[in-house]
Amino acid sequence: MKLSKADIATRQAFSERMLEYGAIDKDFVVFEADIGYSTFSYLFGDAYPERYFNMGIAESNTMAAAAGMAADGRTVIVCSYGVFITMRAFEAMRTFICYPNLNVKFLSSHGGVTPAIDGVTHQATEDIGITTLLPNMKVLVPADTEAAKKMFDVAVKTPGPVFVRLMRDPLFNIYSKEDTFELKGSKIIREGKDVTVVTYGDIVFQALEAADELEKENVSIEIIDMYSIKPFDKKNLLNSISKTEALLVVEDHQKRNGLGYELSNFCIKNKPVIFDNLGLNDTFAESGNYYKVIDKYGISKKHILNKTKELVSKKRK
Amino acid sequence: MDKKSQNIEERVQYLKEKAKEVRKNIIDMIFTAQSGHPGGALSAADVMTALYFDILKIDPKNPRWPDRDRFILSKGHACPVWYSCLAMRGYFPMKELKTLRKFESILQGHPDMLKTPGVDITTGSLGHGLSLGVGMALEGKLVKKNYHIYVILGDGEINEGQIWEAAASASKYELDNLIAIVDKNKLQMDGLTNKVMPMDPIDEKFKAFNWHVITINGHNMKAILIALEKAKKIKSKPVCIIANTVKGKGVSFMENIREWHGKAPNKQEYKKAIREIEGSNNEVK
Repeated sequence: MKLSKADIATRQAFSERMLEYGAIDKDFVVFEADIGYSTFSYLFGDAYPERYFNMGIAESNTMAAAAGMAADGRTVIVCSYGVFITMRAFEAMRTFICYPNLNVKFLSSHGGVTPAIDGVTHQATEDIGITTLLPNMKVLVPADTEAAKKMFDVAVKTPGPVFVRLMRDPLFNIYSKEDTFELKGSKIIREGKDVTVVTYGDIVFQALEAADELEKENVSIEIIDMYSIKPFDKKNLLNSISKTEALLVVEDHQKRNGLGYELSNFCIKNKPVIFDNLGLNDTFAESGNYYKVIDKYGISKKHILNKTKELVSKKRK
Repeated sequence: MDKKSQNIEERVQYLKEKAKEVRKNIIDMIFTAQSGHPGGALSAADVMTALYFDILKIDPKNPRWPDRDRFILSKGHACPVWYSCLAMRGYFPMKELKTLRKFESILQGHPDMLKTPGVDITTGSLGHGLSLGVGMALEGKLVKKNYHIYVILGDGEINEGQIWEAAASASKYELDNLIAIVDKNKLQMDGLTNKVMPMDPIDEKFKAFNWHVITINGHNMKAILIALEKAKKIKSKPVCIIANTVKGKGVSFMENIREWHGKAPNKQEYKKAIREIEGSNNEVK
């Protein structure tokens, strides 16, 4: 499967749609914390200065002020990097947005190790665990720019808080204009019979690359892009693992409290199958080229390939 | 009451009587719950009474009236004073006050906007309320309504750095619809504010963030009314009223005593406290 390179990153695609949507929905407002030229929220700010609030390098205040503005029902979009939005401002997110279930959406850039060159301080490798933990929070991760644009609409149309994890750098185009996305949805982007590989975000591309090589060795994997992490699509997952009897979850996130933990729990309760997961193994990553980093920390194509073969041989025993 | 028909002395007299009731309810609620924070509720009682029985433009029959003034109790642990005012204004029946902190009560241990009519926004974790107020004030400006947002802060609470992030953003956006009141009772949980973490001069700090600052005796009802009315008239700056208060005000054995930050009275203490409040003429000492 030959994919074309994306022109822009998902953070930019999401913000471009935010700009377009500003003309469709005249009520929502945007809060930024001085990284507008990185989250691309400045596009919205330039077009709608009266609906754009740059609160400076002060994420906790930004988050709580967003709650104040959303208190009477207004939709507010808060833009920042994953590390800052989920960690620096976590309590405000929990107590003043999730607890009262306010309409605040989070544009969270630099998800996973996608800002690899920036190093650990800027790599949000715990954001999925942190946000899925919160009652009322929904979590989405688009794998490409098309998905990112459409998930903007999903986020603003979904009541309550919605967290959207975005990438720093452009990767590849996976979806077309005809593809649709919804809360609690997923995409089977490749059908197979031996192992179900569930992943999301930047790792979808790694799974696709692994699938091509595995095919040469007569191993067929079914790839599910679980773009709606919370709530997740139980139906597609159950159908797929009922067929393959083996599940591998791969994510650009800590293994602990990631989607792998969630789905292993689900399988134990509903459909025990041969299972393994790949992610950061209780470690922080480091600076460097993105592809080298994901390779060293166990979430690249090579690791998917090896782990899949391991699961296939377990099945045969 | 129709304040236009009354001069300020009459308003003050009326509010002093109301403040006694508010204080009695605080003691009664905390005694019934055998849990809660009397000290900081009593110190804020006079300012709260002035707000809820004179200043605030509100409609208890329509708690979410879009044009209402907003109120945020940033020092959320003092909520018995708020619940007392809300019940007395008819947001919910007085008998609910007996359910404070109890299982399935509408009156949670700290204020909850989804459970309590009249609570505009959830609070309880210190240091966030001024930011919430900034957001509400930005909303007021965006919809071009002329309501005000009142935020009561504790003088211990302003240890939190986020207060100063909020202070900066409020002056950036010239939020003259935002009025913060620091309940400066000089005690926080672990002791004297100037020992635990000195923040003085608080007025100079807010002034440095380009706020308009008014300092008053927070138990002098006339001074409170004058300050709140002046605050509403200030243009293009947020206003901070520093209300010098006494923690535990109105109950002699609670006044200025650290331990009464978060402790319920026993039966004897309860009776003595109620007697003192009923007997007091509430004059400023």
